[in-house]
Amino acid sequence: MNSSIPHTVSTVTEIPPTPLSLSRRSSRQLRRIMDHAATVVITVGGLTTILSILGIFAYLFIEVAPLFFEASGSKVASFDIRPIEEATTLSGNIGVGLDEYMEVAYVLQANGVSLYRLPSGDPLVLDSMPTFEPGQISAMGRSSGKSHIYGLGTREGRMIPLSINFRMAFNNDERTIHPTVTAGDPLAVTPQPERIDLIAYQETENGQIVAALTGAGHLYLAKIQEAEGLLSMDDESELLHSEIKDVRVSMITTLVLDVMGESLLAGTQDGHLLHWDLRNFEEPRLMGSYPVGNAITALSYLIGDRSIVVGTSAGNVEVWMPTIDPNIGGDPKLEKIREFPSHNSAITVISPSQRDKGFITADTSGKFALHYSTSGKTLLEIEGTGSPIQGVMFSPKADGAVFLNQDRQLLAYHIDNQHPEATFSSLFGAVLYEGYQEVLHIWQSTGGSDSFEPKFGLWPLMFGTLKGTFYAMLLATPLAVFGAVYTAMFMSPNLRSVVKPTVEMMAAFPTVVLGFLAGLWFAPLLEKIFPAVSAIFVVVPVAIVVASLCWHFWPSKVQKKSGHVLELFALLLLIGGSVWICLQLNTEIEGWIYGSDYKAWLSSTFGVGYDQRNALVIAFAMGIAVIPTIFSISEDSISNVPRHLISGSLALGATPWQTLTKLVIVSASPGIFSALMIGLGRVVGETMIVLMATGNTPLMDLNLFNGFRTLSANIAVEMPEAPHGGTLYRLLFMSGLILFVFTSIVNTIAEIVRQRLRARYSQF
Amino acid sequence: MRQAFNKFLSSGTLFVWLCGAAVAMSLLMVGGILLLIMVNGLGFFWPHTISEMTLKDGTRLLGEIQGQEVIPNSMTPESPEGKTRIRMKIGNRDLYGLDFQWVDEEDIVARSTPQDVVVFERREWGNFYGRIQQVTQGDMVMASDNNQAWKILPPLIEQVNQLHEDIDVIQRVEIGDINHDMEQARLKIQALHIKGISQSPEIVEREATIQRLEIQYQQQVETLRQLDARLADYTLTLVDTNGREKSLPLGQIVEALRPNDMGVGAKCLTYLHNFWTVLSDEPREANTEGGIFPAIFGTVMMVFIMSIAVVPFGVLAAFYLKEYARQGAVVRIVRIAVNNLAGVPSIVFGVFGLGFFVYAVGGTVDQLFYPEALPNPTFGTGGILWASLTLALMTVPVVIVATEESLSAVPREYREGSIALGATKFESMWRVILPCAMPGILTGLILAVARATGEVAPLMLTGVVKLAPALPLDFHFPFVHLDRKFMHLGFHIYDVGFQSPNVEAAKPMVYVTTLILVMVVIMLNMTAIALRNRMKKKFKGAAV
Repeated sequence: MNSSIPHTVSTVTEIPPTPLSLSRRSSRQLRRIMDHAATVVITVGGLTTILSILGIFAYLFIEVAPLFFEASGSKVASFDIRPIEEATTLSGNIGVGLDEYMEVAYVLQANGVSLYRLPSGDPLVLDSMPTFEPGQISAMGRSSGKSHIYGLGTREGRMIPLSINFRMAFNNDERTIHPTVTAGDPLAVTPQPERIDLIAYQETENGQIVAALTGAGHLYLAKIQEAEGLLSMDDESELLHSEIKDVRVSMITTLVLDVMGESLLAGTQDGHLLHWDLRNFEEPRLMGSYPVGNAITALSYLIGDRSIVVGTSAGNVEVWMPTIDPNIGGDPKLEKIREFPSHNSAITVISPSQRDKGFITADTSGKFALHYSTSGKTLLEIEGTGSPIQGVMFSPKADGAVFLNQDRQLLAYHIDNQHPEATFSSLFGAVLYEGYQEVLHIWQSTGGSDSFEPKFGLWPLMFGTLKGTFYAMLLATPLAVFGAVYTAMFMSPNLRSVVKPTVEMMAAFPTVVLGFLAGLWFAPLLEKIFPAVSAIFVVVPVAIVVASLCWHFWPSKVQKKSGHVLELFALLLLIGGSVWICLQLNTEIEGWIYGSDYKAWLSSTFGVGYDQRNALVIAFAMGIAVIPTIFSISEDSISNVPRHLISGSLALGATPWQTLTKLVIVSASPGIFSALMIGLGRVVGETMIVLMATGNTPLMDLNLFNGFRTLSANIAVEMPEAPHGGTLYRLLFMSGLILFVFTSIVNTIAEIVRQRLRARYSQF
Repeated sequence: MRQAFNKFLSSGTLFVWLCGAAVAMSLLMVGGILLLIMVNGLGFFWPHTISEMTLKDGTRLLGEIQGQEVIPNSMTPESPEGKTRIRMKIGNRDLYGLDFQWVDEEDIVARSTPQDVVVFERREWGNFYGRIQQVTQGDMVMASDNNQAWKILPPLIEQVNQLHEDIDVIQRVEIGDINHDMEQARLKIQALHIKGISQSPEIVEREATIQRLEIQYQQQVETLRQLDARLADYTLTLVDTNGREKSLPLGQIVEALRPNDMGVGAKCLTYLHNFWTVLSDEPREANTEGGIFPAIFGTVMMVFIMSIAVVPFGVLAAFYLKEYARQGAVVRIVRIAVNNLAGVPSIVFGVFGLGFFVYAVGGTVDQLFYPEALPNPTFGTGGILWASLTLALMTVPVVIVATEESLSAVPREYREGSIALGATKFESMWRVILPCAMPGILTGLILAVARATGEVAPLMLTGVVKLAPALPLDFHFPFVHLDRKFMHLGFHIYDVGFQSPNVEAAKPMVYVTTLILVMVVIMLNMTAIALRNRMKKKFKGAAV
């Protein structure tokens, strides 16, 4: 043998170079290249795959991160407005504003409107523009809402409505803004000509309403109500007048009407917030007078007309809200619910956002700040030039603002504030929402209109997730782990090879199927047979205990002969039988235990209601979904306990029972633990079952008999409606990220435990 | 006694029995669920007997008996059993408003199963249970009693169904073609406009094409109108069991049966026929009737695309991890990460798919390649490609883990032998190890497919719809339309079961869909298990 090998080698080398060997050399080269190429391809391909898998986490994070970006403001324009005659300045605030694309800004002065292009500051001249005599206009008030409508108070006691519109035109895909300014018919507010010093004006759904404080110290109200009824063809409208008589009227510094024209707010010099109910227009009723502390210098409703922002001469910014004491009832009282950091100099103007609960406050030092009411956070503060700000408008899209200061300088800012609703405390903490009496965790992402305050409390969803997980694991853990012990320790190999795949087949049921069965079959059924099911939880264990007693005292001959096959069949029959009996006796059981109506019993005994789709249904459905996972991994770890350890234990005289409890369970416990962890990970993120078999109501209630909403189901429900890039969209990504991180942690723990266990077993 | 009891406790028999009970319960649950699905799903196809009930007040009910229960709180001392009631499917939704009715058993005076009762499966309003009053063609009465009409009806129904098929062909194929060509021409023009060309011979030509197609379209619409008119050639007047008449054009009828007059053989034939109809037909009536063919097709195609994506990447990653990467802490961490990913909830992948594939990638693709169709998204919205890729990402860990496992199972001797014989690493990999690992890779793929088939949550975000207007595969270039939305069996269950207006009437359809889905998934899993077992056996001998 030894000699033949060198011989063959030599024959190979002795062959003279031929085309064949040439091609062999080139083929060798080719092979080397191929090998090299394959290495590169596999390495690159493998790494890309792995990186792209890991990239999921990075991507989720990137989508979530903007939620927590701080707001920023950048000046886009700053210019002096046209010099104006002294007579045209007004004592109070000045109307400024801008269109939704921040291309045109306006300043409303006593002699009319002047328009400027942004950011250049070039004046924009319109063909027709209402003008006023010098000194004619003595006050102005902005009607809150999306459109730019002002009520101008005159020195004769009249009110002229003025509206500024921005019409958009597209020409070759280029957008141009065409502003128009129109003035309406003057409306007599005061009975005698009197100079209006302060005016609040509001265009309502079916008319206009004005509150005007005159130089003579009268507070007059006027209202135009369009005639109701569809049949009236001509513009019949009714003009109503009324006056508010109150000693504090002369001290009023600021007046605000709500959008409906139903309530009037006033701030006074001596620091009181006055609230009148105007629903009975002829006789306005003072609802309350609330001390604020310092003179009120600015006042505004936030969108939705519930929250009121109060600015004082000391620079305090407060949010007030109507609340009703649940014990007393009656009229709502205003209450201060939030305080923002003080400006330290008198607040001059407050401008609310048109799309959320944000608002801008500006002061006499020229500083302005952006606040968000729901979260109670001041998002942005920009120091001013020292010149008091006289006019502010938060842009219609809440992405910018325009300011006018006393130096006649117009400033335009771009504000980057994508997600004001989302702060760490408003997502995870309890929040006092509008219309609620106490701080709560609420998830309610969408409402009918912009004025709705979105409630992004993630706790109810996380609570729901944990609730579902808890009940499902409560049911699945004993069944799966005990089942695994039995299968691994007491079953004959033949039986085991049938039983194990059968249980594992449960894992093959798509969860949508389990969800469907749970929601449409089991939930209605459970509602009917609840008494029987509750009895099953008692009857079956008792039956098993009794049966095992019988078995124990059975002649041991029979025991040995039959082995565990008989045992399993006996159990199948026993359980099937007792379940069947319970179901047959459903109505009787209801009578015995629950006094003929279990729902009434539940509500009278525990004070809980019964929803058809509840946590119990979920426990069953998710339990079934997770039993095979836990069962399979636990069974593996138990049956992998080294055989010779068990044999040794038995040889030393321990009973099988002792061997099981003292040896097998102890050494397999890490495996069982990791099985439970993996099961937990699966339950936490399960979507279809909870989506289909719970009511999807985001409640915070541990009650077994009502529904809940989980993070995962919430994503499935709301994602299709969430606008791309919006707060809700990113919050749903955050829900996904929370699930991702949670399951990753749980699975990593499980995996590490399992690897350790494997290493330990391999020592034996 | 106490001693005996203590002995009983310490013997552990009780605990053993409790453990056994856990297994038994799990087995009962599996069996119960399977049985439930089988009975409800398979029972759907069987032509049920129609019962006629006469009630105390003289009214009659005709329909299928679907269940019986004890009336809640009806127990009295005289009759502790309580009263029972029967749930009947009475159909005739257009006449009664509801398909189902509960009848108290004590109200029933007489029951019968008349031979001459006809069940009509209709295109609208669900089934009709009743008898035929007359059949007319225009003003001519062709049959004026139930039995006579029954004799002439089968060929007429066949004729009508043929008409429906023709209409379907025109609507789907002919008009579909025209619409497709028109849309293409329009997009070409739009593309030229985007390039800044507003006048060119090509545009003129395309506009001419559009006009020509428009004329063709009008012709087809005319043909359709004629066919539609022919559907109403025959009028059928039916009466329900109480004599209420209902006239409807014959075109409304899909099938007429007299289940009470059928033998077992005929019923079996009908059973198979119904089964086939469900598998091959389009859905009707908001998916609650008809077939589920588009859902089956969508599921299969999505899984197919997913497999194309998942296999190469999964296998490459596994080979890299097992054969090329240096084994150390990093690879161990990567392995844990990959394992973790298999445990990440599917909805998270859906969220990722929506954000990354649909909005980020799809949006970019649209801007680069389909600017003419904007603002209508082409790939920038959910579609079968994105759904498949999302599921591929979700299942790639399954393939990686399975492939790695099978690579570990290939005995070392094979590798060493191959290298010793002079093969390069790649050659031994390609010729020796890959073939050995093939069953394992296949197992991984099948498991991945099984998981993907049953998964719904991520699809809901990435492109599944309740009713897709067209299949993602047709005769228009490029034949496979990866941007189209699709239907899916799992989503069908969710949608029909939970979103349809008449859930009760839709239930049978859900059960059938469930049955088919469960069968497919279980079959896939069993194949995977069988393959794995074969592989284990194969290497058992070799490793020693």
